[in-house]
Amino acid sequence: MTQELSKFDRIIERYERSEESLLAILQDYQREFQYVPEEGMRRLSEVMGVPLSKLYAMATFYKALSLVPRGRHTIKVCTGTACHLKGAPQILETLERELRVKRNGTTEDGEFTLECVNCVGACAMAPVILVDEVYHGQNRPSKVMDIIKKQVGS
Amino acid sequence: MEKISVIIDGKVFEAEKDTCVLEVARRNGIYIPSLCYHGEVPSSGGSCRVCLVEAHQGGRMRLVTACNYPVRQGLEVKTDTPLVQRIRRGILELLLARVPNSEVIREMAAKEGVTEARFRKDEGESERYKCIACGLCTHVCAEVVGVHAIAMVGRGADKKPATPYDKPSDVCIGCGACAYACPTGAIQLKEKDGIRRIWHKDFEMVRCSVCGVPYIPKAQVDWIVKRTGKDRSFFDRCPDHR
Ligand code: SF4
Ligand code: FES
Ligand code: FES
Repeated sequence: MTQELSKFDRIIERYERSEESLLAILQDYQREFQYVPEEGMRRLSEVMGVPLSKLYAMATFYKALSLVPRGRHTIKVCTGTACHLKGAPQILETLERELRVKRNGTTEDGEFTLECVNCVGACAMAPVILVDEVYHGQNRPSKVMDIIKKQVGS
Repeated sequence: MEKISVIIDGKVFEAEKDTCVLEVARRNGIYIPSLCYHGEVPSSGGSCRVCLVEAHQGGRMRLVTACNYPVRQGLEVKTDTPLVQRIRRGILELLLARVPNSEVIREMAAKEGVTEARFRKDEGESERYKCIACGLCTHVCAEVVGVHAIAMVGRGADKKPATPYDKPSDVCIGCGACAYACPTGAIQLKEKDGIRRIWHKDFEMVRCSVCGVPYIPKAQVDWIVKRTGKDRSFFDRCPDHR
């Protein structure tokens, strides 16, 4: 427990004790743990004297913050109009099957989080996926897993 | 305090400068529908939009929310023009679609001639089926009670008042002020055998030593004693038997 707390304290200590620091600290949690842990929220509330309800409202408001653990890698499947027409549903289906995870879910081994997004502005390359913010276009169900494996090196 | 005069629906009223239009109207018996505003709660208002009125000043007209628009010398307010009625009906129709089960909204809408929403009805989980996400309950909890047990959680259509993680809150004292303030009666407060249940938490009630009625949560007594230094024995009896 003490060890757990000190890993939150290390982050909190980087900032001034003011309300303006709260969001930055939550973002650091997100970066470091791939999510915002409940214990970290409770600790932050204690140290800063800010109501937990207020932190929880913040953490649920911003899309960049997640309350459940996310995978080490994020795969985003574009399901915008162009990608949809070019076969995004099949790509998504393949990934769900191969990774054994549903959309917006995280694989059991904590490697991947699978998400859908609407048009990433690269329609000419449809169907598009993003692996940790790297664009891959012209995907095909038979190739998509290889592309991912190649990028993350597993 | 500076006194000014303001015209509402053709009548002249005297009021303190910067009082909100809704307060002045209420004090003078003029009806403006309202839901999310409470005079004792500083941050309340401005959320539900049913209180929209025409504000005429300096030759300009604007639609404003009466509950947070300050009165100034020379302001003329119109609460019932065809434009106001049309906008009001639109807002009530949206609210009705959001919470078709709320008697308060149904009644308020019927008063303006709206009985059915053309939009897809939202009949979500029972927990929030009457909630219009106005935030009044959370303002009461933070600003009047001062415990910050609940806050508005999430965003967009899923926004709702809640305790952190939808768990029993460490700081909630079970006072029920949120449920009392809620304009639509959306917050569940149950009481049985001297136990009050609210926001997933059970509270032991203190019984009046005269009539035996459980009337206040022990946690609330603790809170008041700690904050005000009031003598605990004061709470042995309910307000009717003090
Ligand atoms: S529970 Fe009531 S007071 Fe709270 S946000 Fe919903 S409608 Fe407003
Ligand atoms: S629809 Fe996928 S990039 Fe535009
Ligand atoms: S009462 Fe004015 S916006 Fe709700």
